[in-house]
Amino acid sequence: MSASTAVEAIVESEYEHGFITEIESDTFLPGLDEGVVRAISARKGEPEFLLEYRLRAFRHWQTLATPRWAHVHYPEIDYQAISYFSAPKSQDGPKSLDEIDPALRETYNKLGIPIEEQMALSGIAVDAVFDSVSVATTFRTKLAEAGVIFCAISEAVHDYPDLIKQHLGSVVPHTDNFYAALNAAVFSDGTFVYVPKGVRCPMELSTYFRINARNTGQFERTLIVAEAGSHVSYLEGCTAPMRDENQLHAAVVELIAMDDAEIKYSTVQNWYPGDAQGRGGIYNFVTKRGDCRGARSKISWTQVETGSAITWKYPSCLLRGDDSVGEFYSVAVTKGRQQADTGTKMIHLGRNTRSTIVSKGISAGEGQQTYRGLVRIAAKAQGARNHTQCDSLLIGDRCAANTFPYIEVKNPSAQMEHEATTSKISDDQLFYCRSRGLTTEDSVSMIVNGFCKQVFNQLPMEFAVEAQKLLSISLEGAVG
Amino acid sequence: MKATPGNGFAPWLPDDGPAAATGLAWFDSRRAKARAQVRDQGIPTTKHEAWRYTSLTRLLEQGFTPTAEATTPLQPRDLEPLLVPGLDAYRVVLVNGRFIPGLSDLQHLPAGVRVGGLAQILKSDPDALKDRLNGVVGESQPLFAALNTAGLDDGVVVLLERGAQLERPIELIHLSVGMDEPRVAQPRHIVVLEAGAQASLIERYVSLGEALYCTNSVLELSLGRDAVLKHQRIQTESANAFHIAGLYLSLGAGSRYQCVTVGLGAAWARTDLNVRFAGEHAECDLQGLYLAGDRQLMDFHLDVDHRLPQCSSRENFKGILYGKGRAVFDGRVYVAKDAQRTDAAMSNRNLLLSEGAEVDTKPQLEINADDVKCSHGTTVGQIEPEQLFYLRSRGLSAPLARRMLCLGFAGEILDCLTPDALRDQVAEQVGSRLELAPID
Repeated sequence: MSASTAVEAIVESEYEHGFITEIESDTFLPGLDEGVVRAISARKGEPEFLLEYRLRAFRHWQTLATPRWAHVHYPEIDYQAISYFSAPKSQDGPKSLDEIDPALRETYNKLGIPIEEQMALSGIAVDAVFDSVSVATTFRTKLAEAGVIFCAISEAVHDYPDLIKQHLGSVVPHTDNFYAALNAAVFSDGTFVYVPKGVRCPMELSTYFRINARNTGQFERTLIVAEAGSHVSYLEGCTAPMRDENQLHAAVVELIAMDDAEIKYSTVQNWYPGDAQGRGGIYNFVTKRGDCRGARSKISWTQVETGSAITWKYPSCLLRGDDSVGEFYSVAVTKGRQQADTGTKMIHLGRNTRSTIVSKGISAGEGQQTYRGLVRIAAKAQGARNHTQCDSLLIGDRCAANTFPYIEVKNPSAQMEHEATTSKISDDQLFYCRSRGLTTEDSVSMIVNGFCKQVFNQLPMEFAVEAQKLLSISLEGAVG
Repeated sequence: MKATPGNGFAPWLPDDGPAAATGLAWFDSRRAKARAQVRDQGIPTTKHEAWRYTSLTRLLEQGFTPTAEATTPLQPRDLEPLLVPGLDAYRVVLVNGRFIPGLSDLQHLPAGVRVGGLAQILKSDPDALKDRLNGVVGESQPLFAALNTAGLDDGVVVLLERGAQLERPIELIHLSVGMDEPRVAQPRHIVVLEAGAQASLIERYVSLGEALYCTNSVLELSLGRDAVLKHQRIQTESANAFHIAGLYLSLGAGSRYQCVTVGLGAAWARTDLNVRFAGEHAECDLQGLYLAGDRQLMDFHLDVDHRLPQCSSRENFKGILYGKGRAVFDGRVYVAKDAQRTDAAMSNRNLLLSEGAEVDTKPQLEINADDVKCSHGTTVGQIEPEQLFYLRSRGLSAPLARRMLCLGFAGEILDCLTPDALRDQVAEQVGSRLELAPID
């Protein structure tokens, strides 16, 4: 089986696992009302303040209407048809790798994922003796020595209630938008990271290693606090196609960086994009925001988005501290019937704040892609700088790429540049590679990787290698 | 946006009773429809994407009402200070939105070229306009086009028959003079160049004194196959004026259209340029320059619709903001699914010279075809300190050096103006505005 036919097989095969809606004893019946919010909180044994927070968010959510401005189309979501709590361990997964779609396994093998990881990714219950778990345990010990807190947010609520009380919702308030309000009301679980003053986190943090983070469900909540002078790099997601039972994902991520602190947040998202007609893929409606509260703080977002039927996310930076820095590097791929409306917001409030935006969009098949970004330079942001570059690459004549930047400048010392281009892979570039003996597919893969290099360079090493492979696999078969 | 109670634009609409009927069935029904569209659209707020950065409050506060007078006591010699020295052109003069033949100079128009007043043609040969009026604007009219249709008083019709060529430009002067109360004039111009015709059109918006008034003009332009038009728009209205202009263009196969638009005056100016390609291999070049100082708003909206393959468009707008001046630039390039080999480039550059000045810019690309070359670029910045230092080290005072650098920045657009007489006058007006600008 040649590489391209294998991928075509993946592309064309029906995703066998679909979305299982079997109701177990430990899963709430579909529907959302105050009772459900109270029940979620009670089930998790949460303190009073968190229940209050959830209820405030829920009451506010009821007053909101679904946002319509994004350039994406999907059938109306019935929020009463969703179950908002499911016990962490569902038993409906496949029992062994033999039950997994061979095409999917092929993809895993191409990505070079070890067999244990493959099992974990496909939803098979992983026995605790596997390497990844022992690795995770070693990591936890090392982190504890450094004083870094890295745990599930539901644990943090009990163990560090003061920190949660102080920071939860302080960057993305429950009133922020429709999906943020929904998340605040019903969030299932997520990650809490706290890096104390002056600590440089000894390793890259990844949910990958937090075994109990598996199946955190559709309403994930992440909160990262970096105290003065600290440094942390956080990796979210993984390159392999992740099995998931929930179609709607509405996550919230909040980052807080104090004086001189630095947070680097990298995401690789490759959720199920739906079948050839675009049915059944994940709806990924995420609110991500970083608050550069302290002077000279830095928040950097890097994302590689290849999955999901619909992506709606704008990782943003509030540059409040003087001399703070915000960065956004993004590669987004839409193929088949995928739709992505993504970008960033850089809000310059402090003096000499700087931001960089590099967005690379690749649209193939009937993919719809939109970059939507806001750069706002407030009247007091003396000496603010922004550079924005958004490039789109089109593959095939049925895809679309849109660019909607909003630029608001109120300070005369600000320096702001924005550039955008849209083009296809040129025949000259292809000819050059082919004349040197590369196949068309290898040439395209090489050209696309070159197109994305600026972003991949920002990813942590091991992620970058995986991301490159992922991109090649995503685009195989997309070029005639 | 739905109407809020008490529709603020109701006073702009003429009465829809039988007295207002002109007796022209098609015309009356179009007006009735436009009135309904105005009512349905209500007052757009800043939640409305096309009005995100521009509030209509200031415009509505003025309480404009339509003007009734169709004549003017002005004599040709009163116009002299407003003319461009050395500009040799056919002249069409409108005073407060009404075509005034006595002030115009349309002698020696070559065969195949007709220029006349819209109101007069509606009386004498109404059916000539039946397919033209709203022919380019189309059925679903934006608010100010609908207001114009509902309340249009007059305007100019220019028709160049197949292959007709004009040696001299047509100069269209919109002169506004103060009246008893704040008035709104709503002229409608229709410009048609049939296949192979060539012309140059200079539109100038001027006022006498510091009059307070509003102009809501709509220009519908269609270019036939291989027609060529150079269109220049110079707006130097009074510091109290409200200027609203909607340009609706339909460009035929192989036609070439260049627009150079310069906005210097008015307290509140909004210009919408809508370009539709009606044939392949058409070219469109839009160049713009705007200056905005205290209490001034300059708002440009471009909508370039590449619905057909093989067309090219250039949009190049530059702005200089000082005092508490504000500018809005919203440019959209749309490429339809099958519009292959589209070539589009949009650029918006701004110099922000003082505290309190603001620019909001939104260059957008919507691309649905793959074999295209599309780009946009935007910058907001200041005068480079190195450049300033260079000039000062050669003995120029700081204000003079700044002015020179600003003029250099504007020069790219000013150099597109022709003939030289026009270019020189506009450059001088830009220079004198910069001289008064607090840009230190």
